[in-house]
Amino acid sequence: MASDTVMTRAPAAAQATGSEPVRPLLEAADLVKHFPIKSGLLGRSNAVVRAVDGVTFSLYPGETLGIVGESGCGKSTTARVLMNLIKPDSGNVLLNGRAPGTPELSLKAFRSQVQMVFQDSYASLNPRLTVEDSIAYGPTVHGVSGTDAVRRARRLLDRVGLDPRRFAGRYPHELSGGQRQRVNIARALALEPKVIILDEAVSALDKSVEAQVLNLLLDLKEEIGLTYIFISHDLEVVRFIANRVMVMYLGRVAEIGPTDALYTGGRHPYTTALLGSMLSMDPDERTMEAPLAGDPPNPIDPPSGCRFHTRCSFAESVCSAKTPALTVSGTGHFTACHMVDPGSGHSKAAA
Amino acid sequence: MVQAVAPAMIDDATIERSPGYWSTVWRRFRRDPVAMIALGVIVLLILIAILAPYIAPHDPFRGATLRRLRPPGTPGYLLGTDELGRDMLSRLIYGARLSLFMGVTPVFLALFIGSAIGVTAGYVGGIVNTLLMRTIDIIFAFPSVLLAIALSGAMGAGIVNGLISLTIVFIPPIARIAESVTTSVRSLDYVEAARASGAGALSIVRKHVLGNVLGPIFVYAMSLIAVSMILASGLSFLGLGVRPPEPEWGLMLNTLRTALYTQPMLCALPGIMIFITSISFNLLTDGLRSAMDIKA
Repeated sequence: MASDTVMTRAPAAAQATGSEPVRPLLEAADLVKHFPIKSGLLGRSNAVVRAVDGVTFSLYPGETLGIVGESGCGKSTTARVLMNLIKPDSGNVLLNGRAPGTPELSLKAFRSQVQMVFQDSYASLNPRLTVEDSIAYGPTVHGVSGTDAVRRARRLLDRVGLDPRRFAGRYPHELSGGQRQRVNIARALALEPKVIILDEAVSALDKSVEAQVLNLLLDLKEEIGLTYIFISHDLEVVRFIANRVMVMYLGRVAEIGPTDALYTGGRHPYTTALLGSMLSMDPDERTMEAPLAGDPPNPIDPPSGCRFHTRCSFAESVCSAKTPALTVSGTGHFTACHMVDPGSGHSKAAA
Repeated sequence: MVQAVAPAMIDDATIERSPGYWSTVWRRFRRDPVAMIALGVIVLLILIAILAPYIAPHDPFRGATLRRLRPPGTPGYLLGTDELGRDMLSRLIYGARLSLFMGVTPVFLALFIGSAIGVTAGYVGGIVNTLLMRTIDIIFAFPSVLLAIALSGAMGAGIVNGLISLTIVFIPPIARIAESVTTSVRSLDYVEAARASGAGALSIVRKHVLGNVLGPIFVYAMSLIAVSMILASGLSFLGLGVRPPEPEWGLMLNTLRTALYTQPMLCALPGIMIFITSISFNLLTDGLRSAMDIKA
């Protein structure tokens, strides 16, 4: 797995102006996470779900990296591995070049710098705690006194647009979905993190509320100088909020690059197909046929070579034989497709 | 979007508070007449047990061969006398002490130990869970009555041995409930979020798990009190729990059975007390369960 994955080198994509190399804030190097399927009397695992199978990328300070892909492509698992909520089978995560759980960077210190907002706003709040107690919990874990933590919680509530006088003493079930998600954002902010991973954080909200929360996220990013990883299946939202986008397919990175370059000139057939599924606002440009048929193959037994070859209209024999490596296909733009890789043997590739 | 309230104003502001979970449960519970009556009966029984020396008309231990097995309604002996001529009313009043004690104590001990086992197994998971829960399953495989009798029989009669054997009987079911509730809570996002904030396992269990699992475990344990009372009475009836001449309802039922054909009403009295107490605990549990079933 490690051999066929090319490390993405700092493309400095987030900073469209600067050309000097920027040190990545967070790096994922060849992350692999397979979930064993337990079966049989003794619970021996006969098969594994290859949820994340060699994912490598870098996150640069101040940017928003969107991660898109169909359900089951490993977006959320990647997020949980990044958060160290599940241990990767191999590969590692580096924050400012240091691995969490080592003497230079304890897991606790890492977690105060990388926080996460979950999709289910209700399940991610303890029903027995008031809103302010939920937000204040994190800081108390890191040694802030109870009263200071509650004070911080109330200020954060104000900051995310919820009047602390009305909301601090409430329980999660008394709040609407949008309000709860603001509370979750406040909780993530309570530890003053550098990176926030938003795992489908706005997907469960109404469109109008979603827009409000997105604007709040943008405001906070500017005010505090945050860096986001924005995981979503909503391509429009990702285009709106992300500077760079990573397209995942069956546990692998298919393509990664600047948002505009990717949305206007995606090089991977999967990216093209995925973006083709976006509906146009113009009735004259209605989608006449499904751009991509069928479900993704089973991640328990993924296709050989390029995992997309079973659904790709450009598939040739090389695609099922050889795994494509991430190849430079533009400024800070990498594509894992044999057609982009010169000399791969694909008829459409440059010789 | 972001409101412009000065920090000082936020710090000093008075916060509107919603009623907490338990006050909501109590408000709902109060509206359930059956449960409130059951609670009243239990409180009354506890008061009777505490105040026994002040309200019992006679010494529960002093008998007289001349006035044996008097029927209920005998002047001076409102509920009659037992096979040794001791006042039934006084013995029933004093009996509340041991019977309630034998019913409630094992359940609370088991609640403590069983929850600790179940929450540990549920939260830690993996091999720890397998080891703890399979051990619990082995104990659980025995019918509870047989297990209580076997344990008491092996350790010998007596109050303490009775308590121990009943506690052992009740640990497995409570641990099972605790484990399943904890397993379902630990996979929820708020526990993940707490882990993501860097909290240790103990802190997470204390702040996020216990508050959400103790309620259902407690309700289940309450429902065991009635079972425990009946089992304790059963042990005493078999001569394995409380020993004569202590007044205890189960034991009284045993010693009075010789008079079953001559004074059936008299023999039924301890049984009636056991029945009233256990049904009150059951109804209380039902009320508590529905009061706690808040769809938030």
